[in-house]
Amino acid sequence: MTDEHQPRRDEDQKEFAEEHASLFKITLGPLIWAAHFVACYGLVAVTCAKGWDIDAVRSGLLVASGAALVGIGWVGWVAWRQWNVAQTGDFVNRCGRAEDRHHFLGHAAFLLSIISAIGVVFVSLPLVLIGGCQ
Amino acid sequence: MTRPSGLPQPEGPYPPTDEMLAEPVPRDVQEAQASRLRAAWETPKGWRYITAVNNTEVGKWYCLTALVFMLLAGVMALIIRLQLAVPENDLVSADRFNQLFTMHGSAMMFLFAVPMFEAVSILLLPGMLGARDMPFPRLSAFGYWCFLIGGVFVIGSIFFDAAPRAGWFMYPPLATKDEGPGSDIWLLGLSFIEVASIAAAVELIVGTLKCRPPGMRVNIMPLYAWYVLVVGGMILFAFPPLIAGDFLFELERSFDWPFFDPTRGGDPMLWQHLFWIFGHPEVYIIFLPSIAIAAMVIPTVARRPIFGYSWIVLSAVGTGFLSFGLWVHHMFTTGLPSISLGFFSAASEAVVIPTGIQIFAFLATLMAGRVKMTLPMLWISGALAIFTMGGLTGVMLALAPFDFQAHDTYFIVAHLHYTLFGGMVFPVIAGVYYFFPFIQKKLMSDRLGKWAFWLTFSGFNLCFLPMHLTGLWGMPRRVYTYPGGLGWDWLNLISTVGAFVMAAGFATFVWDLIRPKHRQAQIPRNPWDGGTLEWTHDVPEEAWGVRSIPHVTTRYPLWDQPDMLTRLDAGRYYLPDAQEGKRETLVTSVIDAEPVQVQRVTGPTWITLWAAAFTGGAFIFPTFSWYTPAIISGALAICCIIWWLWTATAQVPEADSKDAGLGLRLPTYAAGPASVGWWAIWITMLGDATAFASLVFGFFFYWTASPDFPPDGAAHAVPGLIALAALAFAVNWALTVGARQLNRAGRVTPARICLIAAPAVAAAGAAALVGAVIDLEPASHVYPAILWALAIWIAVHSGAGVIMQLYCLAGSLFGKLTPRYDADIWNVSLFWHFVTISALVACAVLGLMPEAL
Amino acid sequence: MLVGAVFLWLLVNGAFYYMSRVRPGAFDQRYARHILIGGGIVLPVVVLTVLLVWGLSMLPDPRRPGDGLVVRVTGEQWWWRVEYWPEGADAPVLTANEIRLPVGQRTEIHLTSDKVIHSFWIPALGGKMDMFPGRETMISLLPERPGTYRGQCAEFCGASHAWMAFAAVAMEPADFDRWLASEAADAVPPSTDAAARGARLFRSEGCGACHAVRGTENVGQVGPDLTHVGSRQTLGAGRLKVTIDDLSIWISHTDVLKPEVKMPTYDLEPDQLSDLAAYLEGLK
Repeated sequence: MTDEHQPRRDEDQKEFAEEHASLFKITLGPLIWAAHFVACYGLVAVTCAKGWDIDAVRSGLLVASGAALVGIGWVGWVAWRQWNVAQTGDFVNRCGRAEDRHHFLGHAAFLLSIISAIGVVFVSLPLVLIGGCQ
Repeated sequence: MTRPSGLPQPEGPYPPTDEMLAEPVPRDVQEAQASRLRAAWETPKGWRYITAVNNTEVGKWYCLTALVFMLLAGVMALIIRLQLAVPENDLVSADRFNQLFTMHGSAMMFLFAVPMFEAVSILLLPGMLGARDMPFPRLSAFGYWCFLIGGVFVIGSIFFDAAPRAGWFMYPPLATKDEGPGSDIWLLGLSFIEVASIAAAVELIVGTLKCRPPGMRVNIMPLYAWYVLVVGGMILFAFPPLIAGDFLFELERSFDWPFFDPTRGGDPMLWQHLFWIFGHPEVYIIFLPSIAIAAMVIPTVARRPIFGYSWIVLSAVGTGFLSFGLWVHHMFTTGLPSISLGFFSAASEAVVIPTGIQIFAFLATLMAGRVKMTLPMLWISGALAIFTMGGLTGVMLALAPFDFQAHDTYFIVAHLHYTLFGGMVFPVIAGVYYFFPFIQKKLMSDRLGKWAFWLTFSGFNLCFLPMHLTGLWGMPRRVYTYPGGLGWDWLNLISTVGAFVMAAGFATFVWDLIRPKHRQAQIPRNPWDGGTLEWTHDVPEEAWGVRSIPHVTTRYPLWDQPDMLTRLDAGRYYLPDAQEGKRETLVTSVIDAEPVQVQRVTGPTWITLWAAAFTGGAFIFPTFSWYTPAIISGALAICCIIWWLWTATAQVPEADSKDAGLGLRLPTYAAGPASVGWWAIWITMLGDATAFASLVFGFFFYWTASPDFPPDGAAHAVPGLIALAALAFAVNWALTVGARQLNRAGRVTPARICLIAAPAVAAAGAAALVGAVIDLEPASHVYPAILWALAIWIAVHSGAGVIMQLYCLAGSLFGKLTPRYDADIWNVSLFWHFVTISALVACAVLGLMPEAL
Repeated sequence: MLVGAVFLWLLVNGAFYYMSRVRPGAFDQRYARHILIGGGIVLPVVVLTVLLVWGLSMLPDPRRPGDGLVVRVTGEQWWWRVEYWPEGADAPVLTANEIRLPVGQRTEIHLTSDKVIHSFWIPALGGKMDMFPGRETMISLLPERPGTYRGQCAEFCGASHAWMAFAAVAMEPADFDRWLASEAADAVPPSTDAAARGARLFRSEGCGACHAVRGTENVGQVGPDLTHVGSRQTLGAGRLKVTIDDLSIWISHTDVLKPEVKMPTYDLEPDQLSDLAAYLEGLK
């Protein structure tokens, strides 16, 4: 990362493209949670309404939960590396330099992936604990 | 690939060096600049005062109006409590009581809680971001006038005994079958306000993303700005499902299309889903901004930076997402499959975690700081005590088996008031005490404030704590009276006494707020010793917001950049002047806030008032089935809005770039993604697409919920016409984008031909779509009704799109839209991207789904 | 759960009070971080996981299949139409505004509604379940002790929502069977002169257009079935007691007692009223 620079349009766009990924990463964890949640709710609702095989759907959704957790884990790992706290020792990223912003976005994405993982585990519990459509 | 427009790029040194900033500004230059700036930002005097659009004026009116609505709704609550003080009371009739509680809930939610967030944000956000104003001041003013007209209309109905009376969530069939205009007043009046809310949300998001001071990267913006961003985003996804629901509901009320009528294939559950997909995020839309106020007060009180800034950002963003997975916990007793209830129970527990993190981050900040107890902090402490209580009962209610008992009882009434008082009322009052010096340059009374706090706090608990027990002992909510001897009598009496103690507290607060303070001394600047930019404001007040827009490199610039204040006052920073006598603010890049443009912002005007009045007419007349005046009023509203846009937005500037201070030359015009207008359209259309998606959800919901949807032997839409419509929308899109590209390439005549052809093709597409369903009988069954609803939705959007295309054509003919200055057509083609996708989806649902299902 | 909640509330608020009021100096940042991670993540995750597993495991209980008897309840504005379907029955036993259940057996209650949404709730016996027009929901109840409990509508359903209640009586199975048999029988004929006059009035005033009294020519199905109204615990869906006085008050003041109710107020002479009330009170 460079220090602050003159605001030329091409550089601005390049930098935006680079941090675009970071901004996206912030929401990626929660988005995986949301996709998993919608899949669980939608599929179970249709299955129960139309009398499909609920047990098969439950197993399928549990596999999806596993996949969601792997996805969130990957996001978390990438974000952890971006935060880079082990090397900088900076927990708060409160300065106004470009690298602080970069680390901060990593930190936020990392924390959000923790919350998303907890969310996915919680939402999977009913699949394990509740049997049928009743 | 789009050719560049040839507009200049930013030129000159950035960021400013210390030497540049240290160089003094000569005194005479300072004075000349200040007087020009003052003239440009002067607030209109006398009766023209209501034409003001500046955020400080509009924000103040907005806050006061919301406060008045809140007090009226509070008085209704007192009448409710009086009626319930003793069993079998006959102070008010059942009908009047039902109107009162419906209006109490509706007004508190739609006329106080959400507008208050927008009001406070419009008032404070530019200050916190060192901006002169919001990016679209006239839009704020328009939103305010819409809110005022709609709010007076809705709340006024109670004085004519015509108020809605089916509860604030208006469950059909009770609400759809209700006689009299009550339900229509609720639907149309509040839809009108919801549209205004979305407008404010768009403005706040764009303001946060594009109007920060140079150097204020995302990792150092004030936490309040983060919350505004999250809450604005939530409004965009939460309000549209309700608007879609209102649309269906009003079609049922006005034309008897049976969306929620089970005898003709409809389903009342669809309303419950759409309402609560809005309703639960809405609780967090109310709660998060108030917590944001706490996030501004606590560092000041602890005299240190907030601890766990990233954690709070996480908690805001996480809560924002999770809050969309909770809505069914309002529907635990509707007989949905247990496993579905389980998902929502789980998500409702999960959302506790980010909320808890928020509270512990505050705790940690206080721990690591040296606390100086102040009046705002007293209210924040009260908020915490009340909110944690509401949160813990929330944890219990999220467990479905507990909710089966407590649902729809006074336990819920207690729970929701604990969360809303702790999560909204108390923090907002803390905010009033904290920010009052910023707004009025006076302090509120410490003594009265303490009285108000203790009266409100003890009254509140006296009123609502017993209600937990009343509910657990079986008293349902929304009963106008109750039989004696069930153990509820004395609990209700205590609650009523508590309500009046609380009312005394509010009266004290309001008196302190409005009592004349002429003789009171003005405050010194930054009376609380805060660290964020709003405390740079001048005492006595100046309408310009900031004298010059500073270069910010820290989270608490007033603590960490010691020379900033004097340089700011001297006009050392950006935009210290108004050479042309026009209002301007700085537009910066989204992530790192590098200056990219000097944006002209609009000044005082009557047009927003007229536009709001006519828009109000278009919504209010249909309540009484006066459709002709409604259509005339709607047409006039469109004329006003076109006039407003034509005369005040995307004006061709006198020079392509100008000196923004510190040697930096910035462009004065931007089109496409570089312009704030483009962002506003993008964000608006995201909300619009959500509303459309809700309608499509409705279609599939009917399929899931009913074994015969579409019913056997039902007439379908005409496939040939749908294919024609799809083709027309695709061609229209190509013509619109083609016009944009040709115009940018300097080929103005072909671009104009495209702009003549496109509206004709779009109108043909809309006509074909409506033609495809015109033979269906929407009142006979929900299947033809939902097809009609989708077709109308697309047709109305096409109508708006056609007006926009013609606006661009006129712009091209009269020199407002040129190859160099082409913001309008960028915005219009963005609008059409969204509408084209919606139209194609609608064609697919109408044409293909009956086969597929 | 309550104790836990009180404890957590005290913990958080105690800490807040301590931080803001009592303590003079600043803590180390490291402690602050521990508070944030421990209090913000670890503690809630543990507590919530335990609660969630517990809650989810109980979630399907209210909808377990019953032991045979099915009671079908339809919510009306503002009363309850009740049908008993013993196992294998071809036709139901019709009654209104009172639910009787055998103790020790799980009874399925099938719920639906006439026009608007209601919610069926007997707080002492279990949770609530909403009643929708055009759809059937189910809740099963397992009363453990004989007794009379109060039930009521929990979902706002219009002007007289407050007065839509009923008595729920849990009985020993043998008593229940006896009661059901008598409930299935036709109405007893009037036993006194006053009651006989009341029966004639019942017909001449047109009460039978809405109310059924089985075994007579009154077969209306708009309002509650009155075949055994004299044996019920309450009158007007939990509004009054079934006494001659209350019956007279009810017939002459429906609009006051139950705003917007469909039953008109009858402007009768006092002795006519007491005759009619005597007839109804005698319908044991």
